[in-house]
Amino acid sequence: MSESRIVVIDQDEDRAREIGAILHFLDFTPCVFEDLATAQASDIRPRDALAVVLGRLPLGGSHDFAQWWTADPKHAPALLLPEYGEDTLTFDPTDVWQLAYPVQQSQLTEILRRISIRHLHAQNGTDAPALGPSGETPAIQRVRHMIEQVAGYDTSVLITGESGTGKEVVARAIHAQSSRNALPFVAVNCGAIPAELLESELFGHEKGAFTGAISTRQGRFELAEGGTLFLDEIGDMSLPMQVKLLRVLQERSFERVGSNQTRHCDVRIVAATHRDLEERIADGKFREDLYYRLNVFPIEMPALRERAADLPELIGEFRALLEDKGRGSVELSPDTVACLQEYAWPGNVRELSNLIERLAVLHPNQVVSTDMLPERYRRRQRDGGATMLRSAESGSQQLPEEGLDLREHIRQIESRLIEQALDASDGVVAHAANLLKLRRTTLVEKLRKYQIHRPQNAQAHG
Amino acid sequence: MTIRTILVDDHADFRRLAQVLLSELDEVELIAMGEDGEEAVRLCEEHRPDLLLCDIAMPRMGGVQATRLIKAQDDAPVVALVSIYGDAEHRSHAIKAGAEHFINKVDFLPAVADLVHTMAGGTHV
Repeated sequence: MSESRIVVIDQDEDRAREIGAILHFLDFTPCVFEDLATAQASDIRPRDALAVVLGRLPLGGSHDFAQWWTADPKHAPALLLPEYGEDTLTFDPTDVWQLAYPVQQSQLTEILRRISIRHLHAQNGTDAPALGPSGETPAIQRVRHMIEQVAGYDTSVLITGESGTGKEVVARAIHAQSSRNALPFVAVNCGAIPAELLESELFGHEKGAFTGAISTRQGRFELAEGGTLFLDEIGDMSLPMQVKLLRVLQERSFERVGSNQTRHCDVRIVAATHRDLEERIADGKFREDLYYRLNVFPIEMPALRERAADLPELIGEFRALLEDKGRGSVELSPDTVACLQEYAWPGNVRELSNLIERLAVLHPNQVVSTDMLPERYRRRQRDGGATMLRSAESGSQQLPEEGLDLREHIRQIESRLIEQALDASDGVVAHAANLLKLRRTTLVEKLRKYQIHRPQNAQAHG
Repeated sequence: MTIRTILVDDHADFRRLAQVLLSELDEVELIAMGEDGEEAVRLCEEHRPDLLLCDIAMPRMGGVQATRLIKAQDDAPVVALVSIYGDAEHRSHAIKAGAEHFINKVDFLPAVADLVHTMAGGTHV
């Protein structure tokens, strides 16, 4: 989620009101307080806001503020007005932004835009504890064992696995169990940041390095100094950026955008991707030398359907997280849990977390029975998905003695199923996409890739 | 065909303005309005709309997380997330969460007009 509430604390009443009005105009929800005590007495917690704007506080107020705010490990970042004189904030520097006054709208907008993106990134990752992925199935125990093995060394780690399996949880666990754990863990989603911005995001920039670089910023490598840098969706990184990253890994140094001063860094790299990097290498989209640099210690996160026995424990964990966030609770009947264990979970642990949160919103403090689940979770094995998985795993797919071209074989299976889905939905791509649990755009891409033409729907539904 | 639409935004003045703007579009039937992400989830479950227009930044639960939860429902609506930001990162988060469309508030009326026009024309968006 991106949050809209912004706390403003300033003894200067007029200025506080003015900033509140600007924030409201910018589509945020200002919560304006003229003193710290009122803010503390309100029901807004430091983790609830998108940001806090700090103006003039009484003597000693900044100390009291910092104590209150940073006691919550998930507190929002702070924007400091010039009059916020004391530099004693015990904040992480990534959490503090200097704000000019009178307020320059472009500056404020840009700071809040960045904070909003960070907020979305953080929300996208799971809130799971840094102890490691939970569960007792052999597959997940193996992952925990590998984390223990590698955590103590500075080895680069490459985590693979389907989307939503919890790769960031693994990365956080590696950091938490390493000797770097007192220093920052910094996560970057390389897939979500446009190629042209990723360089400045990773390496920072000097003021004026490019349009919009209104001040000098540290990049993620600097922010992660001494700690761990988690590069998520590394498979989506552009080739020019891969070259730059490779250089940092080889030389342990980099330059900010717009600067020629070389900076040395001591950062442990943990990368993750849901893509098949070897296939991307074959397609010329990923550098082989970078792959070998990153893939020193590979860890594969199992799909949720491969560890269905872990479902009750995971459900319990998500319930506890919701309760902790003050988002109410929900209970699942044993039948419901059993039913969910039969489901194929294409979206993995994240899909499960979303389902539990959805149930908590719709049926707060109730016991969820099977009929309260959305249809797709109730289909069990009679549905094609699960049956298909079983047949794929069973003997019907024997490896021929002479071997086979796996990629070509999978292409054939994929295009056959897409054709069937299109037939079953009268050629309506959006419906076929639903049957295949794909996004329409993904299916359109695949149609193009496999050159499947459907003239009857090309105009109306393409 | 009318597009049964739900609008969710935490700002009452934006809801009022949007209501007026949407009333100019023949295809739109505004069936409910809400103020935050949790309400969006409940309203979509209750009313099963064709289209959800939802702000990204709202108290408690924003539009991106609400979209993830709404897309778990049967016959989920088409979701258009609305933001004051038009940048690629916000767009990417919206689309990854399952939203079909991402609308910059500045272009609200023309973008929604295009969208409902396409939907009402029988084209699946």
